[in-house]
Amino acid sequence: MLPDNEKSYYKALVALQNEDYLTASAYFKNAENLVAEDDDLRILHEATELLVAVKDEIAELENSKGNGDR
Amino acid sequence: MNRLEVLKKLETTLEMFIAGVLESETTRIATHKSIDVLDDIARDSLRGRRVHARLGNWLARSDIASRKDRLAEPDITRIGNLFQEIQSGLDRTDPEAKKLDDEIRGWRKSGVVPKRKLVVKMKSPVQSINTAENFTELLKKENAYLTDESERNPHLLSILDDALKSAAAKEDKMYLHLAGAIVYYLKISGYKIGPYAKRLREIELARQDVEHVA
Repeated sequence: MLPDNEKSYYKALVALQNEDYLTASAYFKNAENLVAEDDDLRILHEATELLVAVKDEIAELENSKGNGDR
Repeated sequence: MNRLEVLKKLETTLEMFIAGVLESETTRIATHKSIDVLDDIARDSLRGRRVHARLGNWLARSDIASRKDRLAEPDITRIGNLFQEIQSGLDRTDPEAKKLDDEIRGWRKSGVVPKRKLVVKMKSPVQSINTAENFTELLKKENAYLTDESERNPHLLSILDDALKSAAAKEDKMYLHLAGAIVYYLKISGYKIGPYAKRLREIELARQDVEHVA
């Protein structure tokens, strides 16, 4: 069987292909030691984290804007 | 440009960046997806489940054989190891399983994946392997198996039942050890373990017979 971290890394890539960034971020965290060893993966992981944070911020701003409009 | 517009622009840029990275790694990702599916099949096979249809599909749909020269060495090794695990659970008296086993042998013969590693049956006169390390590895493997099983079924007795079935059907000694460990744990926790201990003993004796004949 594949080690859990490899399996998580594979699933992270599949989640990214499905544009499910939150799931990808969770799987990347499970594959932390693999990610740390590979520069390309680390950049991909960090870009995913940043994107999740940006999406959160956008949702929050849009929410507060929506509430303010009412 | 207000804050929301800046964030939306950043969002688009990041999405494009990620898509670009994925695009450049399409082949590698396809290989990894394929290995992941094969690993799921191997895990189910090790649990004693019938995997014939899924394995047949995987072999029929996989384009790995046609890309063998472009595959990374670690990926080839991963596939070879997973095949080995799956093969250990295939019963060649079943025609469907035999066909699948033959197909995997064909992959090995044509060099898509490495040929089966030689298994030394005789005990070495000198103990060159570190037993403590082996034991630690065994516990890690058992831990991974237990974690995986517990996600599906939180009952220890069901896990024990599965481990006993696998111990009876498979060569891997991990199941025998794991079943023994669970039985002992239940015993010292005050449970009645008679029927399980009996099954374990029978499996142990059957294995001893097979090893004796071999």
